Amino acid sequence: MPPKATLARLTAVFFRIGNTIFGGGDPMMAAFQRELIDRQGWLTQEDYAVAYALARITPGTNVLAFCAAVAWRILGVLGSVAAVIAVTLPSAALAVLFTVGYEAWRKNALVTAAIGGTAAAVAGMMFSTVWLLVRPQLTSILRVSVFFGGAFLATWKFGVTPIPVIAIAAVAGFLWKE
Amino acid sequence: MNVFILYLLLLKATMTSFSGLASLPMVRDDLVVHHRVLTDRQLNTAVVAGRTGPGPNGLYLVSVGYFVDGLPGAIAGLMAVMTPAFLILPLMYWLGRRAETPRVKSAIRAVILSSAGLLLTASLPLARDAITGPLTAVIVAVSAIILSFTKLDSAWLMLGAAAVGLVAKLV
Repeated sequence: MPPKATLARLTAVFFRIGNTIFGGGDPMMAAFQRELIDRQGWLTQEDYAVAYALARITPGTNVLAFCAAVAWRILGVLGSVAAVIAVTLPSAALAVLFTVGYEAWRKNALVTAAIGGTAAAVAGMMFSTVWLLVRPQLTSILRVSVFFGGAFLATWKFGVTPIPVIAIAAVAGFLWKE
Repeated sequence: MNVFILYLLLLKATMTSFSGLASLPMVRDDLVVHHRVLTDRQLNTAVVAGRTGPGPNGLYLVSVGYFVDGLPGAIAGLMAVMTPAFLILPLMYWLGRRAETPRVKSAIRAVILSSAGLLLTASLPLARDAITGPLTAVIVAVSAIILSFTKLDSAWLMLGAAAVGLVAKLV
């Protein structure tokens, strides 16, 4: 029988998964599904599905909202806070260390060459993120043209700042039902 | 820049985006274009630093905060990443399955599409900064294709790109 959820156990699970899984939110959420439902039995498939859906519409980083939600379901607000801190704090410390490292070695020609390669890969990754955001909605070319094309033109050509673009898209999307 | 202002600017970026890197256009607009406390090169490095380690993609904001104001800035970045996550608690409590209503879904999908448009706008200057010759241009194109059409972990791609850059320098 799996162990009962305690704050220490919950924090340990979120610490382990949050700081060992590479690749961002989706692989992490898949790992949490296996751990929290299948292995620990702390969460139902239904709770997982609701948390997953609501995390998609919560501003910010989806996987953190997901962690806050499922930990809240398991151990309330304290569990939620502990889970978010356990998932972010060690990885954030690593991000600072990597930043310091990159900056310290920036003048070294070999390191500069390596960083130049990764910077180019990041640019490619951003273009692929654009594609991955647009691709699921290609069933409606008109909506893609209006919302994606409109946002790009408004910001690139006319210098409109992001907030009004997002606000207009939200209202228009609500009124123009798919 | 005052660290609280930095926190508010980064929070504005996270509160108006729906995935890790989608906050990037707002960050660039505020910190690179308007306040000029960050350069495109630093922003690019921040994204690399955020992607090198494990954890959520949004952690590049910790690195952004570090560039702007050292350790206090990194903490401001971390707080800005964590804060919006707790908005889901009232949603879980009150909204439940109503989030699946067609109009709400339609609004969210429109916001996602416009975020993609904003991300494209933010990507172009970063790509211009990253492309320093034919090799980096090829890396941009190959990375975009690989990450668009395979499930490869981006951390491996970063590692591969670093190795290619290194080997090209040595040869």
